[in-house]
Amino acid sequence: MKKRRTLSKIYLAVILILMYAPIFYLIYYSFSSGNTMDGFKHFSWKHYQALFVDTRMISIVLNTIIIALLAALISTAIGTSGALLIQHIKHRAWRQNVLVLNNILMVSPDVIIGASFLIFFTFLGIKLGFWSVLLSHIAFCIPIVVLMVLPKVKELPRSLTDAAFDLGATRWQAFSQVTIPGIMDGIKAGFFMALTYSLDDFAVTFFVTGNGFSTLSVEIYSRARQGIDLEINALSTVMFLVSLVLVYIYYRFSVKPSPKGGR
Amino acid sequence: MAILKFEGVKKQFGDNVILKDINFEIEEGKFYTILGPSGSGKTTILRLIAGFDFPNAGTIYFDGQKINQLPANKRQVNTVFQDYALFPNLNVFDNIAFGLRLRRMKKKEIQLRVAEALTLVHLEGYAHRELDELSGGQLQRVAIARAIVNRPKVLLLDEALSALDHKLRKDMQAELRALQRQLGITFIFVTHDQEEALAMSDQIMIINDGLIEQSGTPVDIYDEPLNHFVADFIGESNIIPATMVRDFAVAIDGKEFICVDAGITPGEAVEVVLRPEDLDITTVEKGKLTATVDSQLFRGVDYQIMVHDTDGHEWKINSIHKTTVGKQIGITFDPEDIHVMRANETQAEFDARLESYQGVVE
Amino acid sequence: MTTKKHWFFSLPYYLWLALFVVAPLVLIFYQSFQGLNGHFTVQNYVNFAESGVYLKMTFNSVWYAFLITVITLIISYPVAYIIAQFKSRDFWLALIIMPTWINLLLKTYAFIGILGENGSINNFLRFIGIGSHQLLFTDASFMLVAAYIELPFMILPIYNSIVAIRPSLINASLDLGASRWQTFRRVILPLTKNGVFAGIQAVFIPSLSLFMITRLIGGNRVITLGTAIEEHFLTTQNWGMGSTIGVVLVVAMLIVMLLTDDSGKGVHR
Repeated sequence: MKKRRTLSKIYLAVILILMYAPIFYLIYYSFSSGNTMDGFKHFSWKHYQALFVDTRMISIVLNTIIIALLAALISTAIGTSGALLIQHIKHRAWRQNVLVLNNILMVSPDVIIGASFLIFFTFLGIKLGFWSVLLSHIAFCIPIVVLMVLPKVKELPRSLTDAAFDLGATRWQAFSQVTIPGIMDGIKAGFFMALTYSLDDFAVTFFVTGNGFSTLSVEIYSRARQGIDLEINALSTVMFLVSLVLVYIYYRFSVKPSPKGGR
Repeated sequence: MAILKFEGVKKQFGDNVILKDINFEIEEGKFYTILGPSGSGKTTILRLIAGFDFPNAGTIYFDGQKINQLPANKRQVNTVFQDYALFPNLNVFDNIAFGLRLRRMKKKEIQLRVAEALTLVHLEGYAHRELDELSGGQLQRVAIARAIVNRPKVLLLDEALSALDHKLRKDMQAELRALQRQLGITFIFVTHDQEEALAMSDQIMIINDGLIEQSGTPVDIYDEPLNHFVADFIGESNIIPATMVRDFAVAIDGKEFICVDAGITPGEAVEVVLRPEDLDITTVEKGKLTATVDSQLFRGVDYQIMVHDTDGHEWKINSIHKTTVGKQIGITFDPEDIHVMRANETQAEFDARLESYQGVVE
Repeated sequence: MTTKKHWFFSLPYYLWLALFVVAPLVLIFYQSFQGLNGHFTVQNYVNFAESGVYLKMTFNSVWYAFLITVITLIISYPVAYIIAQFKSRDFWLALIIMPTWINLLLKTYAFIGILGENGSINNFLRFIGIGSHQLLFTDASFMLVAAYIELPFMILPIYNSIVAIRPSLINASLDLGASRWQTFRRVILPLTKNGVFAGIQAVFIPSLSLFMITRLIGGNRVITLGTAIEEHFLTTQNWGMGSTIGVVLVVAMLIVMLLTDDSGKGVHR
């Protein structure tokens, strides 16, 4: 019994080390004064200095953040209304159909989404660039939001809104003061997931972005295709730290039940 | 011979002591109930018997063998779980056959045994149903069938009826009792519902705070509760402080009453228990106590009447006759309706005292 | 709500369903019947079926995706099971999820260094006397990196299905005489089937289409369906053929989903 437990701990440790090794490998070399990941030369901040004066990179980071925030915001609004809508469809088969349609973008491979959106934008004559990327991000974030909000909508007891009406609330008051707070946890989780999906996306963006517009993922890809560039390593360190902060925020807000959540 | 025996069993999780010192013997072929409030440790006792947990101290004997550390799969005990714990991926037949298949029993015999078990729980013809096609009561029966099909020496039932509605629960109580008689194996039933315990058991063990407060037949426990906790927990009761005057006489607030208890030092402070249904309402003149009616509640079978006497004690009276709130009444009762309890008397001491004077009464 | 308001409220969502779910799918299907000159033709499908290159590539892509799935499954199940037994499982799960927050391209990029001519692995191989090998730009390196990236997505659904098992079911199994191993095989494994299937879906389908990994790690060769689609759309501009391969990819995806779909009916025998 004891032996088996030690064995499983060793196994888990090995897997975790393997999972983190490449990430720390990147971070390690970001401090090397050399230009390759072949051998650590001297400790140096030079790649960070290069990164922070790289205006092209900085504007791309800003682009990426703007796209992610806008996409998350808009898709959360549409996705939440979608979740409420799905719950209110009375016809069971029809509700099932809408759900299946909703999930298509969740299960479709990125290249299919990217390629079909490319055809779609070209068909409509929409110029590739900021707007096509934003629309695409909103589009593939909506089903994620729906899937995060829908369980909360289902959990919300009907009697809550009935109680609100009973106490004299109008439909709008019941909606804004009872329904929305009741599903707030789902909305927050949906917004957060949408944000990470958007920040992380490469394939769809790669298809629908034109020549003039780029996001971080696309930029990393095109630089990586040129070979090793330790500025990318410096960027990974920064992004790793940002992720750590985001993970921390996420767990602070999602794991800990909010005091007014009343679960 | 006892089939199961606990000797000085202790169990704690970290600093949290669940069982302090548990001693009991279980005989073969009887229906036992472990009764106690939630958090009293009753489910822990069951888990120790089943082998899901192991004691920190003391010894558990099964059939004369020490089984303290024996894993659950090696014990001749089966459990009916509170949440049924039926395997959702298997249908009724496969659930019931689970234990038999593990023993590599022949297919023919498995079919026979499962059919037999289904008959016992009145689910003939349900073998090939999926679990999600069954009602709560039917799931309960499948869980029972899955346990008894293995012919355990002891069957454990953990709050087994608590998920059922009132009516179904009553029916299942009678059925379980009948099933136990039919199979002749020992049932150990855990519940927090005193009514259920009284209705089904041969023997009841009352657990509180990790200790056995009292054990005995339902009638013994109801009529002769050992202490305040048991009297309060089992049935409804009026518990009033009193003083022993001499053998067969006890005083409540200076008024002397004849009783049937003896062997207690005169002058000792005791408590007396009077069950609400043993109290009768009469005229003030005929009453042993005088009281004023405070409230009256119709409950279908009877009225629950709350009164307070001239000494300020509250009394609960269950009567089939109604009275009027605010009216002066007399309360009357018989000597055998009074039950005297001493502080800190153990079950052994109580039994010895009872023995010492019982000849005198009869 | 009044019908009018109701429609106003739900319009964006329905609009999204129509424009971004249904329309693109219809368009890619339509496009797959377009020749280079813009006329309706089944030539793309004929090309696909007749050219050994496409069939071999499809077969390879499916085969690689299958291997990646099997590798991640074998590694993931024990990981998920071990974490589920821990008291502080949330913490360990967070450790598993963390790497998914690092941009996929950065992780892929790390392997360019690790697997490179003078990278750590080759240094190690030289050190133990095996000598350096061409690791980068091989099919094996593609599978390694894909498996690495997909690992958390296999662990997560399996973990969720394991912790969803009520502890009383395990106790019930032991109570009925099953050993630890029998309990695992007869109770835990069947009850985590859905988690395993979800994991397979989450790994297999992307493995068919991860063109960036094949581009960066597998060398500039077209070895998966995803790379072929990207090539046709963005390099050779033959959208018709790209769409045709896309349709094939969707069909492959649907087959996997049908095989691993379990809406409660799969347990009958």
